[in-house]
Amino acid sequence: MSLAHAMEVPVGYLVGDWEVTEPIAAGSWGSVYAARHRGPAGGGSPAEAALKFLSTAGLAPRQARQLAESAQREVAFSQEASHPHLIRVYETIEVRDSDREELDGAVVLVMERAERSLLDLLHDAGGPTAGPVPDAGPLLTQICEALVHLHDSGWVHGDLKPGNVLLMPDGSVRLADFGLATRIEGTHGYGPPMGSPDYLPPERNTEPLSERGVAVRPSLDVWALGVTAHQLLSGGRLPFPGATAAARAAALHEYSTGRAELRLSPELPDCWRAIIEDCLAAETERKPRPTVQDLLPRFKAAVAAHPRARARRHRRRMLVTLVGTGTATAAVCGYVFALPHFSGTAGASGVDIRVYNVEKGCLGNTERLTNCRLGLARDPGKPYEVSNVLDQRVWHGDTLVADCVVYGATRIADEYGVGSTNWYRVKVPGGEGYGWLSAVRTRDVPAVPECERPA
Amino acid sequence: MGDDVTIVVHVPAGSGAAQITTEIGPGDALRFGRGAPDTPVDLVLDDPAVPRLAGEIRATEDHWKLSNFSATQSYLVENPEGAGEYVRVAPRRLGAPVPFEFSRIVLPTRTGPPVSVQVFAPSHSYGEAADFARLGGAATLVAFSLDESATYFLVLVALCEPRLRDLSTAAVPTTPQITARLRRHPACRDLTEQAVSFHVDYLARNKLRVKNNDDAPGRRMDGRREALVSLALRFGLVREEHLALLPARTAGAGVS
Repeated sequence: MSLAHAMEVPVGYLVGDWEVTEPIAAGSWGSVYAARHRGPAGGGSPAEAALKFLSTAGLAPRQARQLAESAQREVAFSQEASHPHLIRVYETIEVRDSDREELDGAVVLVMERAERSLLDLLHDAGGPTAGPVPDAGPLLTQICEALVHLHDSGWVHGDLKPGNVLLMPDGSVRLADFGLATRIEGTHGYGPPMGSPDYLPPERNTEPLSERGVAVRPSLDVWALGVTAHQLLSGGRLPFPGATAAARAAALHEYSTGRAELRLSPELPDCWRAIIEDCLAAETERKPRPTVQDLLPRFKAAVAAHPRARARRHRRRMLVTLVGTGTATAAVCGYVFALPHFSGTAGASGVDIRVYNVEKGCLGNTERLTNCRLGLARDPGKPYEVSNVLDQRVWHGDTLVADCVVYGATRIADEYGVGSTNWYRVKVPGGEGYGWLSAVRTRDVPAVPECERPA
Repeated sequence: MGDDVTIVVHVPAGSGAAQITTEIGPGDALRFGRGAPDTPVDLVLDDPAVPRLAGEIRATEDHWKLSNFSATQSYLVENPEGAGEYVRVAPRRLGAPVPFEFSRIVLPTRTGPPVSVQVFAPSHSYGEAADFARLGGAATLVAFSLDESATYFLVLVALCEPRLRDLSTAAVPTTPQITARLRRHPACRDLTEQAVSFHVDYLARNKLRVKNNDDAPGRRMDGRREALVSLALRFGLVREEHLALLPARTAGAGVS
């Protein structure tokens, strides 16, 4: 964190039961060294670990105390929120060494040792011309799983970015750096007013600051996940580009104030594009970001659609498809939802869902005007055009019965450009069988399961 | 770090204008001049020597640019904290970038004092140079951009001084106490209480965005100063080492 700085630790140096073997990384936040365990075997200690040294040299007692507290928070956090995709923090050790002034008093975090970070992976992949990094989809799914666990346990990570996502030798992912992790009570918690500018959502710029810190909500991680996904799938490009941090902040401002559209990298596979657009919702009341719990099945679906995230070839095929439909709203995921197999048997029960038509003159109008009618799709995976719309229409205020939902199918945008790729399967009112209502045509979020995918 | 408000424009009362304070974000512009029915302007500077459409202030990223629409007059942009630093913007120059966090645009008048417009750019960023050079926007930063050489920072350090020295819950100094304390600083000999109040306000409103949940109107200023101090100490914005920026305490003249 801001209080610490890089420090040099000699190879062979002993800290507790650990012997420093080699440097890994350094920054103004401190230094990380590899170490091997020297104590008696067993006891649950791994043979190797990463030691993060946070220097307290030159700090006033108050700041040193803050640093030690922050380190202990990381250990407490790790023990409380243990998960296969969260890096483990085993213990903290305070160095006592009066011979080495720089090291004396340093706080050491003993952590699970990883191979490298996603930031290294992006650098190695060769930059923006290289397209998606290998296995981007599965990596993102693991990150999403870790976030689901965190959020379910009542925590927000607060500093998600490729540099804080580590890779183990077996290719599995570990979220790291819980220095900004915040406990959520109700809808939000309060965390330190810190973060990585390129990964912070626009609301952070207008959030007032209280003595407890700045309000932190789970949607903070969803935004950062969207930025990280964009980078992994486009060879490192940020969704809000610019040569300087200030230029990128200005691009974000233009988007969040509605003066510029979201212009994501053309490299992105279409399934992922829809997901990232939702993660990067400007978080207005009209369009909240999805939760990580909502996102996880969509991540898995996108991985199924693009097993190796081969973006270019897919993109070319998609363009051909789109020219045929003539509507700018259709961006099919190229996924099994395109099959008309969904009109299967009914679920045992359904949940009421109210139709919402945002168009001027239709909102709140119950006179069933022809201009205000809305359609139900026959197949949410196909372009939304006349042949794919049921004869039976619905209007604002109608109550339908939904029994399941699909994510990441054809994208529909309403008259204000708010779009969704989610569809609810609904019983056709006054008729037989099922139709599909686009999620932009309702404000409800019915608790229905994901529709079974055709085999 | 980016802020939704890039710049704050303030036209002081008098000087041919009513007092106005307005905030704009990146990409937004304000036109200023004498104005006329067919030449509407955002900031009216009512002096016969000021052109109808005199210029434009445009917020750009974290700074601003000045366009001089006059065909004959140069405008000066002074840095009131910069010991005489200024930028001269020639006639018809479009989009001249202004590097100061605090600026005063000075327009010549025929008689009386010049007309001036104050422009503040609170979003200027200051960060850990080494980290930032390496990681850019991927570096984890404190979300405050404080210029440790600015007067507002001296005011903040002076506010925090009693707590930093005693580690007690000593009262936060009042505006007159801070003014007296800082006047012994060579750069602050002319500091007024009004200026100190301005800096406290600027810190709370534009730099730290302090949430004011103090409802009692009489305690409003107190509550805000209190909040500034606890934020600055809690998040390490002001530390013991910064006390060296303050003038030496002379015997018997310390802040009680």
